[in-house]
Amino acid sequence: MTAATLAGFIGSALVGLGLYGLITDPQPIRKILGFNLIGSGVFLLFGIVARKGAAAGFAADPVPQAMVITGIVVAFSASALAIALVLRLYEVAGPVSLRSEHTSNKAEK
Amino acid sequence: MNAAPIASASTAGGSLLWLAIILPVVGILASLLSGGRHAERIALLLMPTGFGIAIAIAIFLWRSGQPLVYVIGGFNPPLGIALRADGFSAVMLVTTALIVAAAGFYARAIFATPPGITEARAPLTFWILLQAIWASLNLVFLGGDLFNLYVAIELLTFAAVPLVCLDSRAETISAALRYLLFALCGSVFYLLGVALLYGAYGTLDIVLLSDRVSSEPVVWVAAGLMTAGLLAKTALFPLHLWLPPAHANAPAACSAVLSALVVKGSFFLIVRLWFGVLPNVPHEAVSFILAALGSAAILFGSVLALQQERLKLLIAYSTVAQIGYLFLMFPLVQGPNLWVAEAWSGGIMQTLSHAFAKAAMFLAAGLIAESLGHDRIRDLRGIGAVMPMTLFAFGLGGLSLMGLPPSGGFLAKWLLLKASIEAGRPIWGAVMLSGGLLAAGYLYRVLAPALSSDILHLKAPPRRSREAVALALALTAIALGFAPKAFFDFLQIGRVAVAGGSS
Amino acid sequence: MNALGLVLLIATPATPLVMLALCGSQARRDFLSSCLWIAPLPALGAALMTIGGQSSAFAAPAIGYTLFIDKVAGVLLLVVAILWIGAGLAAARREARDVRFSVCWMLTMAGSFGVFVAADLLTFYLLYALVSIPAFGLIMRNGDAASKRAAGVYMAFTILGEAFLLAAFALLAAGEPNGSLQIHDVIAALPGSPWRDGALALIIASFGLKIALVPMHGWMPLTYTAAPLPAAAALSGAAVKAGVIGLIRFLPFDTALPDWGEALAAVGFISAFYGVAVGITQHNLKTVLAYSSISQMGVIAAVMGMGLASAIPGTALDSAVYAAHHVLVKGALFLSIGVAAVASQKYRPLVMWLSAIMALSLAGLPMTGGWLAKLVVKAPLGDGIAGTLADLSAAATTLLMLHFLMLLARMAQQSPQTKTQVAIDASWLALAISSVVVPWLLYPVVVGGLGEALTASAIFKSLWPVLFGAALAYGLRPWDHRLLSVPEGDIINLMEAAFRASLRLGETFERLDLRLRQWPAATISLGIIALLLAAAARASR
Repeated sequence: MTAATLAGFIGSALVGLGLYGLITDPQPIRKILGFNLIGSGVFLLFGIVARKGAAAGFAADPVPQAMVITGIVVAFSASALAIALVLRLYEVAGPVSLRSEHTSNKAEK
Repeated sequence: MNAAPIASASTAGGSLLWLAIILPVVGILASLLSGGRHAERIALLLMPTGFGIAIAIAIFLWRSGQPLVYVIGGFNPPLGIALRADGFSAVMLVTTALIVAAAGFYARAIFATPPGITEARAPLTFWILLQAIWASLNLVFLGGDLFNLYVAIELLTFAAVPLVCLDSRAETISAALRYLLFALCGSVFYLLGVALLYGAYGTLDIVLLSDRVSSEPVVWVAAGLMTAGLLAKTALFPLHLWLPPAHANAPAACSAVLSALVVKGSFFLIVRLWFGVLPNVPHEAVSFILAALGSAAILFGSVLALQQERLKLLIAYSTVAQIGYLFLMFPLVQGPNLWVAEAWSGGIMQTLSHAFAKAAMFLAAGLIAESLGHDRIRDLRGIGAVMPMTLFAFGLGGLSLMGLPPSGGFLAKWLLLKASIEAGRPIWGAVMLSGGLLAAGYLYRVLAPALSSDILHLKAPPRRSREAVALALALTAIALGFAPKAFFDFLQIGRVAVAGGSS
Repeated sequence: MNALGLVLLIATPATPLVMLALCGSQARRDFLSSCLWIAPLPALGAALMTIGGQSSAFAAPAIGYTLFIDKVAGVLLLVVAILWIGAGLAAARREARDVRFSVCWMLTMAGSFGVFVAADLLTFYLLYALVSIPAFGLIMRNGDAASKRAAGVYMAFTILGEAFLLAAFALLAAGEPNGSLQIHDVIAALPGSPWRDGALALIIASFGLKIALVPMHGWMPLTYTAAPLPAAAALSGAAVKAGVIGLIRFLPFDTALPDWGEALAAVGFISAFYGVAVGITQHNLKTVLAYSSISQMGVIAAVMGMGLASAIPGTALDSAVYAAHHVLVKGALFLSIGVAAVASQKYRPLVMWLSAIMALSLAGLPMTGGWLAKLVVKAPLGDGIAGTLADLSAAATTLLMLHFLMLLARMAQQSPQTKTQVAIDASWLALAISSVVVPWLLYPVVVGGLGEALTASAIFKSLWPVLFGAALAYGLRPWDHRLLSVPEGDIINLMEAAFRASLRLGETFERLDLRLRQWPAATISLGIIALLLAAAARASR
């Protein structure tokens, strides 16, 4: 098994685990963690892609690395925003889960 | 139309593209630095300027008849990043500039920094995020690189989500959180697809990719992932869980921007993906699925709009339905057929007219809710007599949604209907017609009691200028119904011929 | 084409809209009620010029709107304009105090004129929507439960008709090889179009709905009963003719289509007799007139059906002349109800006699306008079974009209005498007189000399249906109050019940929506859609 294959497997496993958490767990924080797991998995896969040096014949293509770094920044901001919202929600309404419909259609202002 | 030229050099007017994106960004930075009430002034000052730039881009495009290109920093793709504008981008830029400006002028009354305070949280956030939405939408419409577009669509989400919960009620924060998390799900799907495409072809530049891709497994998987991810952000049925609570509970000015523009951003990328990146990959079955989901959205969203008891929720579900119409163009824009141009124009027309009509309706609904203190549909009897201008704006928007003439919605429906018949797929036309009937049904529920002669008392009459903003948007949706043929020629600029099913 | 003709042509649909726009400010609201009868004047002028031999066309290619006027349109436009003036004068006094009513009136009027002069599909569709949809506000005027119900039902039918029409137009446009949207081009291409049958079915369905052919007639009695009298007059006389001009314009009379023609004729005759059968069980004057409209529109449909079946030349103009007679008579009869209710003892005979002449004119009493109208449609109907059915329908109309006159006389007698309303309404009188005179003026110009129609035997031939109907009415008198009582709108009640039942489907959708919007469901859908799309991309190869 090459390093690339191993990284590929780990990446896929991370994506799978993250997806499972995102789908099943009603806790917002765990969903955010799940999202980060998927993100890490995708970045790993991106890293493998970089080895192929697919662009203009570089030995190691630098473009995917730049993309991964950008992606990490984006994921970080997303997590920060999500955490901020969860904290704010906790301040206003106490512990919450996303399982039930909070905003029923029939609710009136 | 011929295939788009492989342009790797900036064209005349190309630097306008860069300007269109950077202008709101400068506005954001300036607002952050100066803070307080300056944010409002800066935003309002930049809006006419941004509109001027969008118009200038359209004029350049019209003159040259070819897409505008700007290569950032002079680094050519695949290493560098290009910005491109075709007919669709240009009309979306103009639409965005108009609606953002309208929302801004409308929101001045609610999001003014109160006198005596140097800075208030909600107004500052609103003005900065409004500009951020504008900047990221412009980037979405102009980006020529799939990863660049990923960043753009993420920025769009980050800017849109907080607008939902500016009032910090548990209800709205929860809606915002749902919106954010589901949009993030979509993002990772999209990103995964981007990674696969890069691995296979070594470039993410749209024009370069369109030349290199062929119909093979990696492309199928990548396209499936990217499209699904974007659908999540577009809230196409059955991925609409976040839309009704988010759009219905946000402040009216925000709802207008979210419903009219933000969901169109990801839709725009789906169009770019299939007609810009993958024009050589046959996708008859994909189009069928998209159109089938669109039809389900029309039926489902309209029936649920009929069930709602609150005006803003009704409008939000109507958005769910109207998004469905956008996807009916996919099976009709296939192959080198005569009706393709018609369907393409119809699809874009639907995008534009829905943007204006829906923005007008949300703004009008916001005025109604402010003036009455509620937006319960059953208690709107007689609103037509006390707020005639607002209701007129709402009704004109509704006219376009129903697809009655003269309106952009009618023209869109007519073009798509005709194309569906000529393409031998009248089923999509039938869906459109039944959607129109259902739309008439849910609008009747609002308009008929609103026009009754019951006496209604307002808490506070609406400001004329804000009513005028809603009315101006509605009139724009109507004016689109008078679009001359030249306008449709303009929409075709840069459209890439799509492979037929048999090729 | 001269400049005046062109100006009048454009002004025909534009005047009501421009006047409406000018009355936008609060200060000019009082002027709006006068506009109700001033706005039709250009249409009247355009119609007169056209009948005088002038035809005009107008095109605004930049936005794609085109107008034209020919003799067929001229005939209908003339009488429709007269009716709008008369009804406008009647409405200006009371109903027009409500701004919403006046606005809807002007919009409906603009559409009503416009459909006659529209030259292309999109213009026609726009103006057809204008004559149909704002009428909602006219029906709603009284604001009571019955008018709300009627307006709702009317709206449902109208919107359905609009959808049918849009589909029909899309089929017509798709069938025209050169991409022209001009009505005469698409109709010329229709017989050879691959979508011919679909287009014809939708055309007949949508316009049939507008002229209330059975079984799409339920809205008409409800609507005319609920609307104020001037509005009922305008709607029954003028607005309905949008459906007639629609059939005239969009049926390809140059090509014989026996199947479609005979089907239309059959539906028409069924409506003609059905309208009378239900009409004589009604006791509300407005409802009786509404059922008479169903019957009369059925006759027109039958005429057009027979013309279409064997491509009889002149069917379009013949149908237009027949419809033109109905415009003035039906409009004036609706106003008669209001006039008879307040007429003092002195004027009552005049009211009754004029009403009687108009009512029996509908049945084709010799020397009336209706007699001329029936002479005109002899050619398409022929002497065969259709001709006999037409005579029988005239007898049936006599029966219905005598029922109406009896009800009218009873009401006039029972109405309290008020001293304030001694003089009779001049607008009604003018309208009633023109309904008698105009056909006589029109006939020689449009059709030609009367010739042998004036011989004694020919006159007797047209007299017997009336006599037969009168005999029937006399025979049925003992059963007057024992006839089955049918609710107004008859089968509309069943339709409404079915509609309400279908609304329950919404709750099912609501439950489903709640399920789909759960997190796990939505995220799993996302995954499934991604897989589906990938599989579909593979399958498209």
